[in-house]
Amino acid sequence: MVAIRTDGLTKRFGDVVAVDDLDLTIEEGEVFGFLGPNGAGKSTTINLLLDFIRPTAGSVEVLGRDAQTNPEEIRERVGVLPEGYGFDDPLTGREYLSWAIRTKRADDDDDELLDLVGLGDDGDRLAGDYSKGMQQRLAFAIALVDDPDLLILDEPSTGLDPNGIQQLREVVRERADQGTTVFFSSHILSEVEAVSDRVGVMNEGELVAVDSIEGLRESAGGHATLRLDCASTPAGLGVDALDGVAASRVDERTLVVDCTDPAAKVDVVTHVAERATVEDIRSETVSLEALFNDLTGGGRDDARPVEEVRQ
Amino acid sequence: MSLRDITRKDFTAARRSRALWAVATLLALLTALIAFGFSGYRLGPEETVIQLFRTMGGMFGLLLPIVALVASYMAIAGERESGGVKFLLGLPNSRRDVFLGKLASRLGVVTAGLVFMFATATVMAVARNGALPVGVVGGMFAVSLLYTSVFVAIAVALSATVAERSRAIAAAVGSYFVLVLLYVIPGVNVALLVRFVHQTLLGFEPNFDLYNAVLFTSPLIAYRKAMNMVVPSDLEQEVLQRPAESYTPPGYLGDEMSLLVFAAWLAVPLAIGYWRFEGADL
Repeated sequence: MVAIRTDGLTKRFGDVVAVDDLDLTIEEGEVFGFLGPNGAGKSTTINLLLDFIRPTAGSVEVLGRDAQTNPEEIRERVGVLPEGYGFDDPLTGREYLSWAIRTKRADDDDDELLDLVGLGDDGDRLAGDYSKGMQQRLAFAIALVDDPDLLILDEPSTGLDPNGIQQLREVVRERADQGTTVFFSSHILSEVEAVSDRVGVMNEGELVAVDSIEGLRESAGGHATLRLDCASTPAGLGVDALDGVAASRVDERTLVVDCTDPAAKVDVVTHVAERATVEDIRSETVSLEALFNDLTGGGRDDARPVEEVRQ
Repeated sequence: MSLRDITRKDFTAARRSRALWAVATLLALLTALIAFGFSGYRLGPEETVIQLFRTMGGMFGLLLPIVALVASYMAIAGERESGGVKFLLGLPNSRRDVFLGKLASRLGVVTAGLVFMFATATVMAVARNGALPVGVVGGMFAVSLLYTSVFVAIAVALSATVAERSRAIAAAVGSYFVLVLLYVIPGVNVALLVRFVHQTLLGFEPNFDLYNAVLFTSPLIAYRKAMNMVVPSDLEQEVLQRPAESYTPPGYLGDEMSLLVFAAWLAVPLAIGYWRFEGADL
């Protein structure tokens, strides 16, 4: 079964093409990370999935239903953590949550959900007075109501402290293990890396890559560089003949080996250790950060590397 | 049924709004004060109370639209601006649920306010005069509620078409100006304007039936006409223009017509507002 399918999905705001001819299929049970810099079109895509906005062209199907003709049926089975929400009414966190439970005709226990997201002691305070991180936790609790078949989380870690991110990850993993499909967007690579089965990378409205993390690594060349510091000059050891080794060179007492297959690193180390005295080993994998920057051109509105965009 | 959950949530929030309570208290004090100070000239107790409510009706014509607009102008625009709409529509609610739920709760809020105002005025009037003309007070309440509801409908409809507070304010102020003030400002009101266009610019013979019909499209004029239906005939006011003593407006400009004007002002803005909200990118 397919959880989400978009077909030629396009959304223009005036002259700006926010989402451009997007074809995306997400299978049921998957954890799909939707990655891209700010302004790449991730939120626009999510808003289209939920019928908050209407496509200029193309179609959206969620859980087998058309997003525009059957938004209510979709919302029955989906849990949403939206982006750019607000808790504006003078209601407590618990009242917001109870409202969500009532609206979904669910039988969840509000205390249990508040505990799950770490708001156990704050349920009776006004949600509008919460810190950003607490509001994010409450929004996450609302998304979890009625154990939805599909969780759509737009930048779920926004405003959360590391502890909160950890908790969120655990709950997401737990739900995914129980069969829930998870579709979440992020501009933080490590977050996507940590929980996703598959990743889609958006840039300037286009889907530039869809693959597993390993697949992405491979498509980036999969290069790993190994540096072996030896007691004497490590020349003529025959490393080049090993499988998965692209090239090697000697730099004073250091042997630098380029591997096309990361798995070849162990073989190289064993091979060299049998023939010379190795004093230190350093390994560099092509970082996904570099790949991500490569795919997205460093972002739409600034050229900073992703690392610095992290909050 | 999620409509009821939206209404309940919105009404709970409104009930906790200190500003709303402050306004309601102020208005109730105002009506109580008027009821306290009012004294009819050579009137019996019952006539005094009737005259009092008739006089308050004159003030309500200008005041109630403000109450309704203030209570409703942010109903949907506020949710769009703050992002609350993302929760409303992330849960199994349709846009129609949101629209109607908001309308219902704001109608509830202004009804409560109006009950508050009428209650204080009635209590004060009865205490001062010892008479309670139930028919007139009840009738005045009914037409006042209808009149206020018209402006709630207009405000919710306008609120559904905009996404920012500033625009919602502009729309509310604009509608008050066009639908209320433009009919009462001496010198620049609609009646004079229509007459000017018809007679001076287009060169037609004066046609007061036409001018009055145009005048009657205002909810304010309709409210004044509707009050004639509930007060004794000697207190009825001539709301429309009378060029000569002999002029009698045609039957279709009778007091009952006001109900149709109210119905139109309820239905048309709501239909347009809903249609715009249904198609909007939120």
